[in-house]
Amino acid sequence: MGETIIDLQNVTRVYQQGDVGVQALRGVSLQFESGEFCALCGPSGSGKTTLLNLIGALDIPTSGRVTLEGHDLSQLNRRQLSHLRRDRIGFVFQAYNLIPVLTAYENAELVLSVQGVGDTERREKVMSLLQAVGLDGKEDRFPRELSGGEQQRVAIARALASDPAVILADEPTANVDSDTAKLLLDLMQALNEQHAATFIFSTHDERVIERAKRIIRMVDGQIDNISFPGGGS
Amino acid sequence: MSRVSGHSIPVIAWRNLWRNRRRTLLTLSSITFGVFLSVMFTAMQDRNWSDMIDLAAKLGGGHVTISHLEYRETPSLKKSISDASPLAQAALRQTSVARVVQRISGPVMLNTASESYGASFIAYDPAQEDASTLSFLDSDALLAGRMFANDNEKGIILGYKLAENLNAELDNRIVYTMTDKNGDIVSGLARLIGTIKTGAPNLDARLSLLPLSTVREIVAYDSDEVTQLAVFIEDQRDSEAVAMLLDSVIGTQNLAVLPWNISQPDLAAFIALKLGGTRFMSAFIALLVTAGIFNTLFVSVMERMREFGILMAIGFTPLKLFSLVMMESLWLALVGLLGAALLTTGPYLYLASTGIDTSAILADQGSMDVAGVAMSTTLKVGIFPESLAVIAIAAIIATLLAGFYPAWRAGTVEPVDAIKLV
Ligand SMILES: Nc1ncnc2c1ncn2[C@@H]1O[C@H](COP(=O)(O)OP(=O)(O)OP(=O)(O)O)[C@@H](O)[C@H]1O
Ligand SMILES: [Mg+2]
Repeated sequence: MGETIIDLQNVTRVYQQGDVGVQALRGVSLQFESGEFCALCGPSGSGKTTLLNLIGALDIPTSGRVTLEGHDLSQLNRRQLSHLRRDRIGFVFQAYNLIPVLTAYENAELVLSVQGVGDTERREKVMSLLQAVGLDGKEDRFPRELSGGEQQRVAIARALASDPAVILADEPTANVDSDTAKLLLDLMQALNEQHAATFIFSTHDERVIERAKRIIRMVDGQIDNISFPGGGS
Repeated sequence: MSRVSGHSIPVIAWRNLWRNRRRTLLTLSSITFGVFLSVMFTAMQDRNWSDMIDLAAKLGGGHVTISHLEYRETPSLKKSISDASPLAQAALRQTSVARVVQRISGPVMLNTASESYGASFIAYDPAQEDASTLSFLDSDALLAGRMFANDNEKGIILGYKLAENLNAELDNRIVYTMTDKNGDIVSGLARLIGTIKTGAPNLDARLSLLPLSTVREIVAYDSDEVTQLAVFIEDQRDSEAVAMLLDSVIGTQNLAVLPWNISQPDLAAFIALKLGGTRFMSAFIALLVTAGIFNTLFVSVMERMREFGILMAIGFTPLKLFSLVMMESLWLALVGLLGAALLTTGPYLYLASTGIDTSAILADQGSMDVAGVAMSTTLKVGIFPESLAVIAIAAIIATLLAGFYPAWRAGTVEPVDAIKLV
């Protein structure tokens, strides 16, 4: 596969809860390569969301180091982190990802217009992505006029629009039925093949897990096991 | 397909405004109504005091009075200006100066066959003056008889109360006695040709009018000698500036050039007090409106924390989120002001042109008299453009201030925590 784009070195994250510290991550070291399609699984409370937030530059580790495309995240200020998220990372959350006052088209376009991408290029990109996620004809609908699955597809289109290095999806299928989950996974897989972006998604759903090329199983803030269902290295 | 280029901050802010239509409409109406009240109060005051100052100028020495330096302390005819015409001409050359009139005034003793009263007199040139320089020359003020026909007739006009006190009827003889330029006691004889009613009790009981040339002769003045030049200007608010200008242009060691607020300090103090009241009222309204806007924006920001977290996650900077909320409050201000403009225009135009007759309310008082100045009983409005600008800018600033803290909260959202909220 490609080169290493994400590097976690002995990362810990302790949440302070009053006097007690909750150890959400206890020394995680991990690398991700470009173009990966990777699942994070493990019991509730095992640290999946915490790990994704750290990779996505939304949170900072208590100790250890997170490096994204060579940038040590602890060295960046708030604004630089914002720009890094805008330009190199795409997020898909469990639900209610979209801005209610913007249409599907406008939601998908949002990151591009924040980046200042020109009108024509923006339109081409967004229309082709909406088509790719199967939403052509529904561009002008507002989120409340879309089903949960359709909303997630718009979120995926938005995450991909800026050609990020990595797409982080925290339980993207948790709020949809299993048929829709399968559709979303097909979509993500296809997009992963077309675009160079690394996909990292967390899930509890066994059928979703088995679609991954690499499965990272977490238990109690640590990596319990890494497997490669398709064989491979 | 043509689309509005999606999400410039103003567009998102505008749509956000209408997410809770009822709440936004309530806030907008409070801005609109607050601005309406402020404008109406201020317009009433601006007009009222302006009219009052103009009237005071027409009752006394003009917007700016030029006299001998010591005349104000001791209004004696010894303290005169000897070269009135060149001074008047020099003053008239200043752009804001509309008119300059010459007068002699001072204390006088009046005698009829049966009575004797002390009073004050104004001697003016009937050819030079009219109701816009001396308000009692208005035909409404004339109670009986007539005004002067020429500048050297042997007539006198009295406040009607003074005439009553003197037991003087039209055409009766009246002897007036004053101290002339040289300190000698001199007298003149005149017939009562008219009585006036000004509405101001102290004028009706104490004022007498005489023709200028007649008095000049009696008090041994030269042909160009007066005690006072009354200067009238277009906009009373320029009084102080014009007084300073005239002082620098024509001032000498012996001349005092005083704006109305110094020559009539009682009136100036009264108006300053009233204006302070209006400002306080406007500030209070602004505070209420600001609190309302703050509440709306704060609640709406707190409801949207998750959304701000997502925006932050996908790359909005803190500054951009801050601007988004500030833009929402700016929209509130602008739409509120537009509403205020629509609401205010009709009533304002009506009150500015037609006005409301308050005489019924004031009937038992007879007349309104402030610091010796009788006021009209028709309530009218007229706002200075500057006052309007101040109100509009204050409304925008108040709205932005109200938006500041909510916007700051939006800009400092912690995405990790916010996104957990569903
Ligand atoms: N803000 C917080 N304050 C305190 N403790 C927290 C906070 N966020 C997470 N934790 C704790 O950290 C641990 C890891 O949480 P995390 O959300 O990463 O788990 P997860 O694997 O995503 O679980 P799930 O599958 O339920 O989403 C848990 O024990 C959780 O209680
Ligand atoms: Mg989680």
